[in-house]
Amino acid sequence: MSPAPLSELRARADSLRQAVRDFHATVMPVDLRDKSHRHQVLSKDDYVRWMRLLDQQGWSVAHWPEEYGGKGWSPLERFAFEDELARLGCPWVIPFGVKYVGPVIYAFGSDAQKQRFLPGIKTTEEFWAQGYSEPGAGSDLAGLRTTAIRDGDHYVVNGQKVWTTYAQWADWLFCLVRTDKDDKPQSGISFLLIDMKSPGVKVVPIRTMDGYAHVNEVWLEDVKVPAENLIGEEGKGWTYAKFLLKNERTAGAIVGWAWHVLDRLKRHARESVVNGLPLIEQPLLRHRLGEFELRFLALELAAYQAVEAMCDGSESGSEASLIKIRGTELYQEVMETLVEALGAAGVACDVEALHSAGLPPLGPDDAGGILKDHFYNRAATIFGGSSEIQRNIVAKVVLGL
Amino acid sequence: MSTDLETIGMLRDSAARYADDNYSFHQRWSVLARPEGYSPQAWSDLAEFGFLALRLPEDDGGLDGDAVAVGAIMEIVGARLLMEPVLASAVVATGLLLKLGSASQKAALLPRLADGSLILAFADEDEAGNACVFDGSRLIGGKLGVLHGDVAGELLVSARDTAGAPVVLRVGADAAGVSRRGYRLVDGRGAARFSFDGAPAELLQPESGLSAAAALAETRDEAAVALCAESLGIVRKLVEITTDYLKVRKQFGRVIGSNQALQHRMVDCLLLQEEIRALTAAAQQALAGPAAERTRIVSGARAYVVHAARKVCNEAVQMHGGLGVTDELDVSHYFRRLMVNAALFGNRDVHFTRFTDAALAR
Repeated sequence: MSPAPLSELRARADSLRQAVRDFHATVMPVDLRDKSHRHQVLSKDDYVRWMRLLDQQGWSVAHWPEEYGGKGWSPLERFAFEDELARLGCPWVIPFGVKYVGPVIYAFGSDAQKQRFLPGIKTTEEFWAQGYSEPGAGSDLAGLRTTAIRDGDHYVVNGQKVWTTYAQWADWLFCLVRTDKDDKPQSGISFLLIDMKSPGVKVVPIRTMDGYAHVNEVWLEDVKVPAENLIGEEGKGWTYAKFLLKNERTAGAIVGWAWHVLDRLKRHARESVVNGLPLIEQPLLRHRLGEFELRFLALELAAYQAVEAMCDGSESGSEASLIKIRGTELYQEVMETLVEALGAAGVACDVEALHSAGLPPLGPDDAGGILKDHFYNRAATIFGGSSEIQRNIVAKVVLGL
Repeated sequence: MSTDLETIGMLRDSAARYADDNYSFHQRWSVLARPEGYSPQAWSDLAEFGFLALRLPEDDGGLDGDAVAVGAIMEIVGARLLMEPVLASAVVATGLLLKLGSASQKAALLPRLADGSLILAFADEDEAGNACVFDGSRLIGGKLGVLHGDVAGELLVSARDTAGAPVVLRVGADAAGVSRRGYRLVDGRGAARFSFDGAPAELLQPESGLSAAAALAETRDEAAVALCAESLGIVRKLVEITTDYLKVRKQFGRVIGSNQALQHRMVDCLLLQEEIRALTAAAQQALAGPAAERTRIVSGARAYVVHAARKVCNEAVQMHGGLGVTDELDVSHYFRRLMVNAALFGNRDVHFTRFTDAALAR
């Protein structure tokens, strides 16, 4: 089947955006919508509810091929979906199952693994976490040292993972482990699925500067993992990991998030009057807003250009990195400006208010949530391949340096 | 109306091939030495290829080329630093004439524009305190910075009538009452300043009834978009040249491109190139769209591209070290071309302000 022409993909993406807006306006439960509009901390229950809502719309795995329950969305539809959700200020689409491990399982897993895991990923019946980073293996992921030693019909896993988002809620961990120490770093790695209820798995929360613990250490001590939970072939884990990272780096949501905070900043600038003049009319802030608008325009257009290149196969390899580098840079700067413009309310952090439906001590209702997002997304230029790693990749792959 | 992709591909290929064969950096030195500031031979070659009739209607032997078609040529103009008045005459002034000229004015001028025998320049920037006024038959005032005004046979001059309404006039560059002072721009192209002291002038009056104000606004936007495409050509070349240099220049026993500091800066140049490409394409599409969005996208593109191209060029100079500032190296010629282009048809501040007002009014 030859790919659909771009004009048709664009039309499909536009109608998908409309469907997402309709869903947000009419289907999404009010409590979830309010919480996410105020950028409050969501519970596991909230997230599971959210992910199941998306599944009920047929969207949770729409980017998968049809034979596995997807709709075979093009990169453009996928981008439009994530972008529109983000612009509307919807909760995060937790990617570990639907975006990360799901595609690895249908691309490289056995039939038994597909039957066992894909349905639960689609419906978020089972919650997944990602066991990639280690204390000694961050950007240099191939330096990981967690070992898996084959012992009959199972592996024995020992080591430590870190920055594991929502490991405290996870039923399963997909994990990169070292099955061979003699080879060069990349070739001794395997891809294992680990049941979080297994004896020897310990989750230790890491408190971040927003006062919350989104991320964890996961300690693995003599954890027995059935050999049938190995994905593909032993020692080929790096190939699967790279395939996954490629999916991770198609992050479309950052453009929508940048739009969302810029929109919020403009609203604040229109509503706040200082010395008789709305902030938006004050020359210095207006100039900054103009620069942000301009950078957003460049980001948005370059993102479309990049995603359309992914659709027709003309991509150079820099596309996803461009979106991530520029998107996170802009997001962070706009957020910083918003927090600054909030004045006293921008430094009043009330963790209690973020957990309950309570209001922050001063400022607009979403002041606490803005601050939480500001803290959390300070890591946006670090996680999912830091800006430096992104530049390394582009230098090597595209420029040949 | 949009030019089909096949035609655009053909244009691009033939312009690139022509420049490869006839307009290498080495061959260009002789053009720089010429008193006209361009090569009359190359100009007639460009006419031969049909590039000067790019924007003309098909009935007049043209290609009816849209902004994308113009961009395809302008990219080559930028990449090869062509000195000929493609932008000033074939793109900007021809465009204004097509919008605002009467049938007889077009019949008189278009064939001469197509065959290259006439260079038509657009004189837009008023001399401070001496704005151009048209009394119904004669023109008084001064114009500055008219690109290729030094070699133009005729001018299209923006002015106001005695009631203060914008008008566009056709003026002979050597007519009585016109005094012209030609000079060289820093990139080697020619320009001129003009004083009009009761010079005979003919009003451009289209049968379509389009206002001069609207036509001028469209023309300035078209100039801005064509300059974006020229910048794209320049930036692509600079990224290519500089990346190649990083791979061969050795210091401390290794190629300088093995330094992460330089790799990352080079990547940032590539990102700027990709943004320029996306903005240019969007601005080309926006020219045919609704006015408010046209203003936002075109001025946004122009403001971003001026800044981004300058940044890339500064990096290209810096990474070439001392060589980067020599006359001998092409990089310094791109630097000077970008300097001139940044000052043409509304600079960055003008467009940035216009963009900001449009964006924040949404």
